[in-house]
Amino acid sequence: MQFYSFNAGYVESLCAGDQLVQEHFVGYFTELLHLKLRTRLQSTQTIEDVRQETFARVLSVLRRDGGLRQPERLGAFVNMVCNNVLFEHYRSEGRSESLDVEGQPELAANGADALEMAAAGQIKDKVREILLDLDPRDRSLLQAVFIDERDRDDVCREFGVDRDYLRVMLHRAKHEFKTEYVKRIGNPMSLGANACEV
Amino acid sequence: MPATVTIICWTALGIEKMDHSEAVQQMMAERYLLDELTPDTREAFEEHLFDCPECALDLRAGAAFVEVAKAQLPMLTGVLHAPAPSRSRKPWVEWEWWLSWIQPAFAVPAFATLLLVLGYQNLVTYPGLRAAASQPRLLPWAPLHGAMRDGAPLAITADRRHGVALPVDLPAQSSLDAYASYCFDLYDPKGKLAWTGVVASPNESQSGAQRLSLVIPGAMLQSGAYSLVVSGAGAHGERTVIDRYAFDLRLTD
Repeated sequence: MQFYSFNAGYVESLCAGDQLVQEHFVGYFTELLHLKLRTRLQSTQTIEDVRQETFARVLSVLRRDGGLRQPERLGAFVNMVCNNVLFEHYRSEGRSESLDVEGQPELAANGADALEMAAAGQIKDKVREILLDLDPRDRSLLQAVFIDERDRDDVCREFGVDRDYLRVMLHRAKHEFKTEYVKRIGNPMSLGANACEV
Repeated sequence: MPATVTIICWTALGIEKMDHSEAVQQMMAERYLLDELTPDTREAFEEHLFDCPECALDLRAGAAFVEVAKAQLPMLTGVLHAPAPSRSRKPWVEWEWWLSWIQPAFAVPAFATLLLVLGYQNLVTYPGLRAAASQPRLLPWAPLHGAMRDGAPLAITADRRHGVALPVDLPAQSSLDAYASYCFDLYDPKGKLAWTGVVASPNESQSGAQRLSLVIPGAMLQSGAYSLVVSGAGAHGERTVIDRYAFDLRLTD
């Protein structure tokens, strides 16, 4: 599997308003920001607001200052800006003490990629195939954790397994699924003709 | 001049920076999806995640798998984890569910079964119980000889229909060792206390030993080694074991 990383050319194209690079930038970070924000914010509208504000600030700073001193750390920069936006959001909500909203139900990932993927028959078939290959008890275990959202320790105790068993089972399923996932949606880091290959 | 945009790493805030091998070895993506990370570790992993395309792809694939699996799992584990009907049913569905019980497909076999049960009870069970309660009965009588009390268990044959009657001898009492009552504890072949009973001590005018019959109904019999412990209870409730009978019961039907 070939990976691409951010570099000076990518950041330069982004600052210059290259449409393809901008689309890639937004597409790549949208899903990561959704994954990050869904554990911290309760409403999809707030998530969307924070995401858009993050992108706006990142692009604004990059254009104003002409790039990043460490362009390969563009991802970390986006994450930092997102944290700042979150802090400001919490402060405005009177909850600036923590980034975390403990005990709140986790929102389902509902980024565009997730919806597209859910619609893809091959992806669904692959997941079904992986799930059917699992022991029925393991399927029930996954259901208890991800759907019933029961306490992990209680679930492990009930099924007579430990946390490592759960992680390894998820790791194996994810590993098997990843090949099909990349085949169907492509490598998110790939930019096509303008790929900034390292 | 390129911006000296300072990327505030979490190391500056006292949080350990995470590298790729550490993230892989510690299965950070799985822990993240399972929501097992502490806030600090989650921050550190996220900082790495936004910087590492490989971990980002790994997490995206994992999150996608979980999202699709959430939709698929209820269909695959429906039998094991069907939600409680009462929680999900709507009021009109509730009515339909109740009405479904009087549909011919359910009602006819259900009523036929009910009639059979009622017929059997009225024609067989109740007359049998009535006869047992109101008519004399002949029971097999199995003597528990004193010689067998502490020796080899006595073999007794009985059947479920009649049960068995066991004679128990209460010793003659002198005024010195008089008991207020006698207690009987019957232990089944598993060693569990199957029955316990108390009888008042015979009055002083009844001299000599007293003989009782312990009738055990067939329904509570099972093949195996029983024991019957007879104790005398004093005026203040203190118990003294007087006799211990052991017998091997063999059911014929």
